[in-house]
Amino acid sequence: MASERSGAASSASRPGAAEAKASTNGALLDVDGLFKHFGGIQAVAGATFDVAPGSITALIGPNGAGKTTLFNVITGFYRGDRGSVRFDGRDVFGQPPYEIARHGMVRTFQITKSLAAMPVIDNMTLAAPQQPGERLRNVLLAPARVRSNEREVHEQAMELLEIFNLTKLADAYAGTLSGGQRKLLELSRALMARPKLLLLDEPMAGINPTLGARLLDHMQRLRKEEGVTFLFIEHDMEVVMNHSDRVVVMAEGKVIAGGEPREVRKDQRVIDAYLGAGVGSPGGGRRKK
Amino acid sequence: MSFAGDITVAVTFTEFTQPEFWISVGLIAGIYTLVALGLQLNTGFTGIVNFGQAAFMAIGAYAMAILVVDVGITFWLALPLAILITMGFGVLIGLPALRLRADYFAIATIAMAEVVRVVAQNARGLTGGNQGFACAADDPTNCYFSTWRDVSGSINEFVESTFWSDPPSYFPLFLVVWVAVIIATVGMTYLQGSPWGRVLRAIREDEDAARALGKNTLRFKLQSLAISALLGSLGGAFLALNLSTIHPLVFEPLVTFFAFSVLILGGLANYKGVAFGAILFWFVLEGTRFIELPDPPFTETRIAALRLAITGMLLIGLMAFRPQGMFGKREEMVLGE
Repeated sequence: MASERSGAASSASRPGAAEAKASTNGALLDVDGLFKHFGGIQAVAGATFDVAPGSITALIGPNGAGKTTLFNVITGFYRGDRGSVRFDGRDVFGQPPYEIARHGMVRTFQITKSLAAMPVIDNMTLAAPQQPGERLRNVLLAPARVRSNEREVHEQAMELLEIFNLTKLADAYAGTLSGGQRKLLELSRALMARPKLLLLDEPMAGINPTLGARLLDHMQRLRKEEGVTFLFIEHDMEVVMNHSDRVVVMAEGKVIAGGEPREVRKDQRVIDAYLGAGVGSPGGGRRKK
Repeated sequence: MSFAGDITVAVTFTEFTQPEFWISVGLIAGIYTLVALGLQLNTGFTGIVNFGQAAFMAIGAYAMAILVVDVGITFWLALPLAILITMGFGVLIGLPALRLRADYFAIATIAMAEVVRVVAQNARGLTGGNQGFACAADDPTNCYFSTWRDVSGSINEFVESTFWSDPPSYFPLFLVVWVAVIIATVGMTYLQGSPWGRVLRAIREDEDAARALGKNTLRFKLQSLAISALLGSLGGAFLALNLSTIHPLVFEPLVTFFAFSVLILGGLANYKGVAFGAILFWFVLEGTRFIELPDPPFTETRIAALRLAITGMLLIGLMAFRPQGMFGKREEMVLGE
């Protein structure tokens, strides 16, 4: 099971370990002693935690704790200074974002990156992995193969849109969608990429409670039916306490606590971190703009 | 305005009834269509602002000429080789420059185009420098256009014997250029409709989103630039064939900005609009030649400047009333940000 470990107890990463599909402790994502600085600011200062397969893990912490930076380093958008990131048995530290996404670790962004001037359906079909039609050689020399694959991808996309109640908007430009619809689109688009682990950066921010509840239902269902693992940054403590089975708490670039939601809630270090940052207790149900 | 009452503006319309006028406008418009199709791919569909298209034209033209005259290979091989060389050059430039942010990339491409032009001016042994480049020094019959002129002559003989007794000498090139324009327009539209083209549009919208979905965006941007180089070099080679000397001044940055005007007139993110934009642009620029104004005060140089001003005002007017150009999609402009 996932557990919060001290930085010293680093997982021995054996490059030759052939059987290692998951790392030694069975985690899907194993982050160890990760550092990232910007000039004189240490944004991530030795973060160590892991994410168990099939879990919904929440990443919480006061503003400026380094959560989004941590996401960016894990997914390759920032180059970390040092540390290790193992995903699904692979060392992915320092790999480019597109490689990491291809391994099955797919992220969304705090500010949704719906591709505004593209129709919803193109947003979806874009995300399908390993498309033969993305190679010019196939487009020119194997058009039949490209077309048949495109039909399959289109079908999958429509199925997902159906699930997320976006079917009617399939041909609308993504830029015409409401904020909440964009969040749903980004989630369903990420699912098109067939992720093993989905990293969601504040999926509930800026959407109405009804839509938020639906999004959470989707997460639970995807976990159960498709075996997708979730790691998500969230500020709404109610959501964190009720919908996650593991919580990782960050403060000042470090992971200061981890465990089940109930334990974490009582953890003195967590309470101190939130009080120290002057934003109230973690039970406060605060939402970041 | 003391002279206001005396001015007589006259436009002679007889020129517009001559097929020669339309064919010469059509020829230059066709060449600029090819060049601007590359810009459409880069700027309209990939979101990379390429201000260096003139460099690709120059390399295409000079490489073709040098391969024919100095290396001595046949024109039919020299043209595709010149295109390949230009594409390779595009990739070499793109590898470092495409890692830059969009605006810095644009600046880097202007610099590239100027470097190419200045090299062409100064590498006299290779390009003839400011003297221009046409034929071998020791053999005035060995010119880069020799083969083409033979072919062109035979085509015109055929034209004369069938439907037109008196075609202008550039009529065959006009035909070839427009065949190329049609193939390129259809081809680019086909590529754009593929999943490959979809990734390009995603990069235009948000490169990080594309990367987060597993797309190696640098690879796609390099391909976009290489195809643009293909179209640019083909346009440059055709431009050279329309001249009797290749001169560095032919490939001034102004050429790129003319091509961008064509692009904007036709409309961003639409391939078929490019040809219409090119025809409109060159019709106005060439047609304004026939505006007759009294000299003085309108000397020839002043009228030349006035023609550009009129073309510029046309562009401004279009931007005010139809910012998406003739064929662009307004949604894609408005939703872009």
